Amino acid sequence: MKDVAIIGVGLHPWGKFPDKPWTAMAKDAIEEAMKDAGVSWKDIGFIVSGSQLWGGRKGIYSGTYTEEVMGNRGIPVVNVNNACATGGTMLTVAAMAVASGAAEMVLAVSSDKSAKGFFPALPVYHEEPVPSDDTLRWNLGLPNPVYWALEMRKRMAKFGDTEEHLAKVKVMLSKHGKLNPKARYQREFSVEEVLASAMVTDPLRLYEICATSDGAGAAILCSKEKAKQFTTKPIEIIASALGSPLYGDPTARIPVVSINPKPGVPVISESWVAAHRAYDEAGVGPDDIDFVELPDNSAWHVLQYFETMDFCKEGEACACLDRGDMAIGGRIPVCPSGGFSSFGEATMAQGFAQLYEMVLQLRGVCGDRQVQGAKVGMSEVYGAAGNNAAVILKK
Amino acid sequence: MAENKQVLIGENLFDMSEGKPSLIVTHCKSCGTYFFPKSFTCHNPECVGKDVETTNLSRQGKVENYSVMNYPPPTPFVTQEPYEPIVCAAVEFPEGITIIGMMEGVTAEQVKIGMDVEVTVGTIYTKKTGDEVIAWKFKAV
Ligand SMILES: [Zn+2]
Repeated sequence: MKDVAIIGVGLHPWGKFPDKPWTAMAKDAIEEAMKDAGVSWKDIGFIVSGSQLWGGRKGIYSGTYTEEVMGNRGIPVVNVNNACATGGTMLTVAAMAVASGAAEMVLAVSSDKSAKGFFPALPVYHEEPVPSDDTLRWNLGLPNPVYWALEMRKRMAKFGDTEEHLAKVKVMLSKHGKLNPKARYQREFSVEEVLASAMVTDPLRLYEICATSDGAGAAILCSKEKAKQFTTKPIEIIASALGSPLYGDPTARIPVVSINPKPGVPVISESWVAAHRAYDEAGVGPDDIDFVELPDNSAWHVLQYFETMDFCKEGEACACLDRGDMAIGGRIPVCPSGGFSSFGEATMAQGFAQLYEMVLQLRGVCGDRQVQGAKVGMSEVYGAAGNNAAVILKK
Repeated sequence: MAENKQVLIGENLFDMSEGKPSLIVTHCKSCGTYFFPKSFTCHNPECVGKDVETTNLSRQGKVENYSVMNYPPPTPFVTQEPYEPIVCAAVEFPEGITIIGMMEGVTAEQVKIGMDVEVTVGTIYTKKTGDEVIAWKFKAV
């Protein structure tokens, strides 16, 4: 198997772009990535694309349509959908294509139009005799943040996490995001302001739940050997691991209406599996990670993932937050990009906002938000239904 | 005007035959696990027999955790004006399964972890046509 490197990244700014087609956003991200890598469209030999939920048939076959926009050249296309873990999943598939020798140069691209508030139910054309969890939960009025609120409530009862801690998570992320020109929200929030925002689904407030955005990102991968032709600073993918849940997971996982908890099974087990698989694959541990882009879909996620990824023991995330461990300059900076909290989530593309930041951090070009001396970065994406992927990059 | 119809959120979810509602579950006789909604198989990867039967779950459980939805949920849920916050809860049953559903008859201030509740059946929302959508709910006992 070949070692795999990233030689170029591109990121469309995130926000609301009602008049811009997602294909045009994808094109901008691809062109930035190709320019960054110093390659042209004719060099691309394989495409992995994030398959969208909201764009109908064209969205499902997003990569196929993206190739058409860039100019059809008969390139193999794989359209991937693992819910909001699609970004990390795409990277895994793209890395496999390079590592196996199936393709010399791979474009991974995802463009998504998610900027419409609470995600709605998707149409079901063939309902089963017993309705699916997804049908039931939407009818019961359970959008995604309710699931996160249920888990947060458990933490509060078990570990004594408080509403102030949740607000402090947002404040920490906003301090990072205000330094990122690609972020949608580039301003600092105060604890008082966050606590004064509307209680959406108790105990999670408006500013503690990420917005939904339009966004697009792209990356160009080739072997570490080939990368020498293009750059003196290739970023190596030392792990790109997928996870799925363990039986007996105690988490109220989107979109379930029932849980069968079994002793000893970790919370968000799919994320625990992917993170630990990534550590094994890379041959590194949490102490070797210089910063983490974790999936901060809500403030709960930040506290939970910090523990799930082994950056501290169970129940200690709030103490770490209070000590400043998660801030840039702290022990293990969390989301130096500002995270989804500052970008908003663009379901299939959000893993690429993380990837873009990781590559820039490892190149050392992040200016005021640079994590000093960053050599190894890690990211994890969280998807509905137990989809998950974790990535470790090294400079 | 025609009488409002009651429509179930789905088939095979609850049983009213004994006068009071019970949730219909699958019980695996091989490994003892319960599943809701009911399933054609046991999902335990350690289970070899996967000999499943349909049965009714206990009618009472305890609130394990909860949340209050202060904003109207998106479609297909239909909200009435003025919107009343929805209390939802995850309820642990003696059989070792936790089930999520709406609470009825409690306010955001009243709901507590550890609260004893029973399964009921009631309207969760009313469609624009006037049809009432019926599902399982939980009520303090
Ligand atoms: Zn079984």
